[in-house]
Amino acid sequence: MTVPLFAIVGHPNKGKSSIVSTLAQDESVAISPIPGTTVDNRYYPMVVDGETLYALVDTPGFQRARAVLEWMQKQPGSTVDRANIVRMFVEEHHDDLRFAAESSLLTPILDGAGILYVVDGSRPFGEEYEAEMEILRWTGQPSLALINMIGDADHSEEWHSALGQYFRIVRIFDAMTADFDKRAQLLLAFGQIRQEWRDSLEKAVRILGEEQQRRRQLSARIIAETISRMISYTRQRNLGHDEASSEDRDTLQKEYKRELVSMEQQCRSDVEHIYDHKHLERHEPLVELLEHGLFAKQTWKLFGLTRQQLIASGALGGAATGGVIDLAVGGASLLLGAGIGAMVGGVSAWVTADRIADIKIMGLPLGGKQLSIGPMRNINFPYVVLNRALYHHRMVEDRSHAHRDPLILTQTPGWLQTIDADHRKRLEKTFVNLRRQDSLLPELVDALAEEIQKLMELSVGETT
Amino acid sequence: MTHSSLIGDLIDLNSALKIDGATDAEERKQRDRAIGQALQQRRHSPPNQLRSWLGRVRISDWQRQGHHAVQLYHTLCVILLFTGLVTGWGLARAVLHYTGNTPINIVNALGLLVLPQILLLLFWLLAAIPYRIPLFNALQSALRFLNPGRLARHLSRLFPLHSRQSLSVVWETEYAAALAPVTRWLFSFWSQLFALCFNIGVLLAAFYTISFSDLAFAWSTTLNIDTTTFHRMLSVLSWPWHALFPDAVPGPELVEISRYYRLDDGSLGNGAATAELAAQLGQWWPFLVTAIVCYGLLPRTLTLLISWSRFRHHLVHALPRLKGSPELLARMNSPLISTSAPRPETALKLDEESGHEVSASARYGLRCAVIDWAGTGADRERTEKQMQSMGISPQELLAAGGNRTTDQDNETITSLCHSKTDGIAVIVKSWEPPLLEFVDFVHAIRERCTRQQPIIVLLWGDQDGVSKQDIETWQLTLHQLKDPDLHIEALGPVR
Repeated sequence: MTVPLFAIVGHPNKGKSSIVSTLAQDESVAISPIPGTTVDNRYYPMVVDGETLYALVDTPGFQRARAVLEWMQKQPGSTVDRANIVRMFVEEHHDDLRFAAESSLLTPILDGAGILYVVDGSRPFGEEYEAEMEILRWTGQPSLALINMIGDADHSEEWHSALGQYFRIVRIFDAMTADFDKRAQLLLAFGQIRQEWRDSLEKAVRILGEEQQRRRQLSARIIAETISRMISYTRQRNLGHDEASSEDRDTLQKEYKRELVSMEQQCRSDVEHIYDHKHLERHEPLVELLEHGLFAKQTWKLFGLTRQQLIASGALGGAATGGVIDLAVGGASLLLGAGIGAMVGGVSAWVTADRIADIKIMGLPLGGKQLSIGPMRNINFPYVVLNRALYHHRMVEDRSHAHRDPLILTQTPGWLQTIDADHRKRLEKTFVNLRRQDSLLPELVDALAEEIQKLMELSVGETT
Repeated sequence: MTHSSLIGDLIDLNSALKIDGATDAEERKQRDRAIGQALQQRRHSPPNQLRSWLGRVRISDWQRQGHHAVQLYHTLCVILLFTGLVTGWGLARAVLHYTGNTPINIVNALGLLVLPQILLLLFWLLAAIPYRIPLFNALQSALRFLNPGRLARHLSRLFPLHSRQSLSVVWETEYAAALAPVTRWLFSFWSQLFALCFNIGVLLAAFYTISFSDLAFAWSTTLNIDTTTFHRMLSVLSWPWHALFPDAVPGPELVEISRYYRLDDGSLGNGAATAELAAQLGQWWPFLVTAIVCYGLLPRTLTLLISWSRFRHHLVHALPRLKGSPELLARMNSPLISTSAPRPETALKLDEESGHEVSASARYGLRCAVIDWAGTGADRERTEKQMQSMGISPQELLAAGGNRTTDQDNETITSLCHSKTDGIAVIVKSWEPPLLEFVDFVHAIRERCTRQQPIIVLLWGDQDGVSKQDIETWQLTLHQLKDPDLHIEALGPVR
């Protein structure tokens, strides 16, 4: 079976390269408003573990179609000879710079490529297209016309009528906004051109679907890790004996926010890399709610323990010692020993803590005042971060590689407000657990990643 | 697969993934897929697959540092082992110190060698519970923080930087999402290793003292505890082994004769320290040793094993959770898909300096022949008005391009050459880019008409007006002709 080969042909500047870039998910394809940017045929094969499933050929646009058609029409021969006449043209003009574009674009078609003829459906049909379409008809190769909607106006009806006279299949496709499903549908439509290519294209779509799923899974994991780190992030500054000044608090707060913003930005960049958007310029407002629920607290620590923890440890030690006495009297003290021991231990820890904190070992005090900020207590914070991350993911997942404009993320839709109670409950539980722990538990991150992946599927359903 | 080699692999994998980020994405995909295909049989065991990947991958600028971490880990283990033995030995020798004057107080020995162990064991259990118990939250945090195993982390500061830095990955907060349980169980393992060695030290010292000197035990306390109560307490304490080692359970007689008061010059019973009494008082040692074994050595062996096993378990499970591991596994186990062109595209470079300025208010003051290129469909009356406003007075209307033949175009050029007008205005669709056949047409005019007339290309933009981008496209393309008398103007509003 031959590998399905598709030559993307058409007038210059009608989005041929955009379609190739979208389907090949290759942001290196040169897309320019200047006609003739594509100077030679470029092959974009879909190769899976060494097996080529199909290939796209981006071709230069027609430049002198009328002259070419006139040359062909002047050649003797009947309708059945037309394909040979086209071949003759290419052979004769192979080195003729005047017809370099036409020779290039016709070569893969003569080699058996299916024709994907691309027009701009947002602009009216013009008589200058007729020569191009006639030449393609002469090749006798199976073909499909794609109406690429580049602008806002809609002339697709007009184009449908014109293209219908030359092409059996006519489809509308917006290379800039096509999401994964639409791209997959288009690939499957290519199978309509030639029956024997269908299996290969179906396999390609299935593999791309699996790849898409993997990308979602990896993105969900990255988002879960980021949110977990953002929720549990704390920052401290040792003060010694001094009281925290407002400058100390401001500085710590700024450092804290900067770190959270940096975590979020890193997450964005990682997700974009997963989808092969390596040079994406992004505009996104900073995460809100950073101002709320953020207060730098002055705490006291000894051996790294807060006063509360220290008292708890002292009380437990005292209780254990008192318990020995209870045990000694065979329980006749009605656990009075443990109770008194706990009290004595706790009070001793409270009373002596400051003095111990002043002791210096190798010049460093054992304890003292500490200014700390975080973890973020605002209960809406993880939801806001998650919503933003899901929105960004969705935009990146659907973003065509033909898009060269910056990614603008200004209006985040409130997907999370619409999720059902079960999802919300599971999310809330995970967030609460994440906030509660001293350190991150990988199981919680796993659980969050799983939940996020489900939300990604839901958000796809919401918008499609 | 030892856990020390796992530590080494964890450190190596982490550093490899970090450095590998700089490798070209396409190169990584191909390399990892090739390794993944060779490791297909390990596909269902991600940790094993990752470890095998380490053995096969070659990354420039990456040096395996794991062995430094393993060395440091082993050194710290040895230090803790030695410190445990020494402190256990020292404490036991101090507790069992007997000069022959005052017998060794069994209450003291139990208080220092057995009871703290029970207490610390309870602490360990409380800290080992993975989830927080309400009301005990602060205590659990404190106990985890006070874990003596953490001291080993501080000890690591005494070692060379490369070793210290490599092992510190295990406890740095940056990696907490993947390694928090590893850190916790590593500290637990170290603390239990110390505790086990401490008990071994205690027992060795006890056996040494018992073997090479005669010891006399007794019990003494200020508390109002009679011999029956004390015996009951000892019976409770020795309940775990009373069936197995009945000789190691002190009987009521032994308890009775072993009580002493320092007020009474440390004398026992009737005050006569006979050889028989000395032998009887020496019978306490099996009880003391069994208590240390039962409440120290055995539980610590168990906690050490638990800590070791949990540490190892979490080490294995941390490998696929390291930053970059899920992506690496995906690269290894999913088909290598390539949809892009094998070589980067070399786009045509145009001279971008445009010599044509569009001026809506341009006044040409020319009588022009007007050519409608490729059937623009522009409204004649309106375009004429717009041309008039630019100082272009249309004289005759001709057509070229589109579905006309090139011969017809040539005829148009012939009439142009013969016309008496001052210039040529060509109306084109602004949204259609200038093709080479249009450039040919302009060239042909210049070649065939001896008179150099200004050519004004008028961009017509339908109802939407002319976009700036279209103007730029036309300017850039026609600029390549380097024709000083070629002008480009927008016919109608520019958007």
